[in-house]
Amino acid sequence: MDFTWTDEDAAYRARIRAFLDRELPDNWDEIARHGPGSPEQTEFSLNFCPKLAEEGLLIPHWPEEWGGAARPPWEHFILGEEMWRAGEPRGAQYMNVNWIGPVLMKYGSDAQKAQYIPPMAEGRAIWCQGFSEPNAGSDLASLRTRAVREGEDYVINGQKIWTSYAGLASTCFLLAQTGGAEGGRSGIAIFLVPMDTPGIEVRAIPSLIGHGDIHEVFFTDVRVPASCRLGEEGEGWSIISYALANERVGIPRYEMGTAELDAMVAELKRRDAFSDSIVRSRASAAAAACEAARLQVYRVVDGRARNEPPGNESNLARVAVIAAEQAVADFGMDFLPDAFSGADHMSMLSHHERAIVTGIAAGAAEIQLNLIARRHLNLPKGA
Amino acid sequence: MRFALNEDQATFATVLEQMLATAEFNTVEGWGRYDLGTALDAQLEENGFYEAAREPDLGPVAAALMVYEAARAPVCFECAASALIRPYAGRDLPRPLAVVHGEARGAIRYLPQARGLVSITADAVRYADLPEGAVTPSESLYAYPMGNVDRAALDWEKLDVDPAEFDTLWRIAIAAELTGVLQAGHDAVLEHVRDRKQFGQPLGAFQGVQHRLATGAVEIEGAKLQMLKAAQSRTAQDAALALGFAQGIATRITYDLHQFMGAMGLTLEHPLHRWSYRAKLLRADLGGSAASYLAYADERWGAA
Ligand SMILES: Cc1cc2nc3c(=O)[nH]c(=O)nc-3n(C[C@H](O)[C@H](O)[C@H](O)COP(=O)(O)OP(=O)(O)OC[C@H]3O[C@@H](n4cnc5c(N)ncnc54)[C@H](O)[C@@H]3O)c2cc1C
Repeated sequence: MDFTWTDEDAAYRARIRAFLDRELPDNWDEIARHGPGSPEQTEFSLNFCPKLAEEGLLIPHWPEEWGGAARPPWEHFILGEEMWRAGEPRGAQYMNVNWIGPVLMKYGSDAQKAQYIPPMAEGRAIWCQGFSEPNAGSDLASLRTRAVREGEDYVINGQKIWTSYAGLASTCFLLAQTGGAEGGRSGIAIFLVPMDTPGIEVRAIPSLIGHGDIHEVFFTDVRVPASCRLGEEGEGWSIISYALANERVGIPRYEMGTAELDAMVAELKRRDAFSDSIVRSRASAAAAACEAARLQVYRVVDGRARNEPPGNESNLARVAVIAAEQAVADFGMDFLPDAFSGADHMSMLSHHERAIVTGIAAGAAEIQLNLIARRHLNLPKGA
Repeated sequence: MRFALNEDQATFATVLEQMLATAEFNTVEGWGRYDLGTALDAQLEENGFYEAAREPDLGPVAAALMVYEAARAPVCFECAASALIRPYAGRDLPRPLAVVHGEARGAIRYLPQARGLVSITADAVRYADLPEGAVTPSESLYAYPMGNVDRAALDWEKLDVDPAEFDTLWRIAIAAELTGVLQAGHDAVLEHVRDRKQFGQPLGAFQGVQHRLATGAVEIEGAKLQMLKAAQSRTAQDAALALGFAQGIATRITYDLHQFMGAMGLTLEHPLHRWSYRAKLLRADLGGSAASYLAYADERWGAA
């Protein structure tokens, strides 16, 4: 066992930090305070990601064939950590890098790859993920948006909701039913749908996490050529399972939590308010939650680096990450309450928002707990 | 960053696991609050397990893992100090070994069996032999043999070691033992809720039970990884964080474990108390979670 970084890893991290120091603009804090899912940040990414790409820091883990350098999983992960630590200047594009690109490489037709992968590799593509629907949240397989084959085309009707980045996205990674009336997993197919196709309407949902972060997307008689389908009809569920297993731990959120905890402590010190033992031990408790999350996430990455099949560790890691986000947010709420009522610590506010979001988006906490109970603890299924 | 054990550590862990799994050590004879695993302890000692910390290819990670594994046995024996304190003492110390930290008052675990006592204070680490008759065994709620000694009457010798380093080692040792007893209690309760049926289904099929056990599993895993990381780095910062976390989760987890055992968990026959009543003592050791967290804050953020 070795919990230290190699010199190579450390140098790589230093190189990324130096790049961020150099390339993030002076008003980055202003942009970043809207949060990683904001339109401000998504727009910013269109300027920033091409620079990352030029520096070889956008898709280093991709195969060389697609512009990557086939770098190992740990480097990819360090990159993700540093981006999150800085507030995720890649905006929506982290999804391309982490899973949409790799999924297209594996399942895409030659034409799909040629059309979609190069713009991602250049840092110029915004995608959105059209999974959730009003009646299909945690129970995603019950989605009802339907794609009906008509000759060489499909005609899509239905509604997606909570879609991040939809306002600025050029393409939607869409799940729809093509099977019989019974629906369910076996009827799901994936479509790569240009967002400017007639019949698509995007409405931003006013929300606690800012305007333009989440959307409803309506599909009314949206006609796309059959060549937009990714994989076969009925193959959608296994493709997204692959995609999400590939993703496994998703976002290294504890990294932003750790950075924010340090910022909060610095602020408390500035106010002469960090001598109280209650404050000090609570700060440490939040740090411990972050460390517990970090190590559990690292264990998942370690599995990937050693080519082990995905296990249940990623579900444990997700739950640990939620606890970490909440511990940091609670610390801020308790000891810097003015930050949440108009004072100047807006990043803490965005953090507080994340503390709720982390337990919901990308699969609710309870779903993770169900999976841990059944698969990791071998507890029986209920009657 | 590598989470797999090296070859020597893996062999060490496998042999250890086999020894701990041996049935004779797991059948508890009497129904006391604890039973001493004297035979198991002797076997570990004979086979050099207590020397692991200083073996180049095993090191403190293997030693901490051993403390964790040994804590999972339903019998108890002094392992933590022998595995993580004794090898660093700079001279041969007898074992079993008891440890007292700071000015902690009251009974000390394993004192009735111990042949020596180590005292760790801020300014020195001292050692004293325990002469025949010096220790008075004491009644206790905890699942450990406990005893008292008149410390002022002992013949103390100052060890030529760094007290801060010993403070760190002892935190790691306690974190390892505490994580081990929590894991073992958790495993025992999992077995129970898979078998025991009420309302026509196993208790473990109820989501209200599943989620609390799943949450406990995540926390124990987080404690274990932090403990192993601290064993590798042996920094005061990592050790304080690992212990603070383990002590922080212990209270709720031990309540949950007893909860899901129902009345059965209150019997001396069921082994749960042998772990939960060790956890109750360990979670308060060295001032408990908040004190460990204060130590961490000093390391990480410095003074106010
Ligand atoms: C900020 C944000 C961004 C998002 N972005 C996207 C996006 O880009 N694309 C997209 O497709 N979706 C997106 N989502 C949607 C997200 O995937 C869903 O919110 C999530 O899957 C949960 O679905 P739901 O909100 O409908 O909650 P529901 O499924 O209604 O569940 C509500 C709550 O009920 C409980 N619950 C549900 N099922 C169970 C169960 N089986 N056992 C126990 N408890 C249960 C959980 O506590 C859960 O949080 C986003 C969500 C958020 C918050």
